[in-house]
Amino acid sequence: MEEMNFDEMREQFTLLRHKLDQQDIINDSLLRETMRGRVGAINRTKYKSYICAAFSLALYPLLLYWGVFSNAFVIATCIMMLFCAYGTYYVHKPVDRMNLMTEDLATVAKVMAKFRKQYNQWLYYVTHALLIPWLSWAVYEYAWKNAPEGMNHWLMALPLLIGAAIGGLIGYIWHCKAVNAADNIIRQIEENN
Amino acid sequence: MDVKEQEFSRMVREHKSTIYTVCYMFSNDADEVSDLFQETLINLWKGFESFRNESKLSTWIYRVAMNTCISADRKKRRQGSKVPLSMNINLYDDEDHETRQVRQLHERIQRLDLIDRALVMMWLEGMSYEEIADVVGISVKNVGVKLIRIKEKLKQK
Repeated sequence: MEEMNFDEMREQFTLLRHKLDQQDIINDSLLRETMRGRVGAINRTKYKSYICAAFSLALYPLLLYWGVFSNAFVIATCIMMLFCAYGTYYVHKPVDRMNLMTEDLATVAKVMAKFRKQYNQWLYYVTHALLIPWLSWAVYEYAWKNAPEGMNHWLMALPLLIGAAIGGLIGYIWHCKAVNAADNIIRQIEENN
Repeated sequence: MDVKEQEFSRMVREHKSTIYTVCYMFSNDADEVSDLFQETLINLWKGFESFRNESKLSTWIYRVAMNTCISADRKKRRQGSKVPLSMNINLYDDEDHETRQVRQLHERIQRLDLIDRALVMMWLEGMSYEEIADVVGISVKNVGVKLIRIKEKLKQK
């Protein structure tokens, strides 16, 4: 009796496929346009990130020209930025290569879990090993070493520290958004399995 | 239209019923089916270039459609302006005998959770356990176990 039930389901399924096969897609000509628009929006976000990185790399040699920082500091900063850019690219690479919608769910969950772990480690090590020493060095160069005589060092350092705090906060928000997105995908797959 | 776009259009035309079936089984509303259908086409287009025939085209299409519908199920919201790209069919309101039969199937499948819905649809499609395992990303043995449980669930309801 129950097997009849499944046979009936198969028949209904065949019926549905048959009904749909007879249909035409409405607005087929708009298909390409819509898809191009969506893919274009994703690419624009990527290009914005590249422009930000290029702008930062151009700014520091300019500061060297103005004599605000020493040669050693500017060179170290440029090397650090290139290193950070490569690190970010390396952590993102498996996610960029993977198409969330075309991979199977197990692979997506595995790649996302690895990304989340590496991304958190990357933030931890970059903050402790690079950003804190770099900011201390920048404050020293700007507010002590090259400061005009009679100026209050801490008052000079204040804008730099506020800028660093704002930059750090924005970076941390971006980081959290990426980690949350990965978390949501993993949670969704786990819930559905 | 370039060659790639022509190939894509042909593929969509040939497999439109597969895509629509998956969207229909994951939704309770004609507008939502239309949105899911469009979202699936966008995701198919995004992955079309990287599809290298490592799996069967139909298996790949199933995978993309299911991933799209499962992802969209939690969001349940419309994003941005959308162009109607669906089909001129109403499986929710029409009252002819065939549509009532289809709706009965829809009601049965809707009682299952998302992954179970995906598995039972592929089973009804006549896909092999290997193909189903490939789409969902679980072992062939696990597919068998899950399908037995799903059949039990369907019998109970």
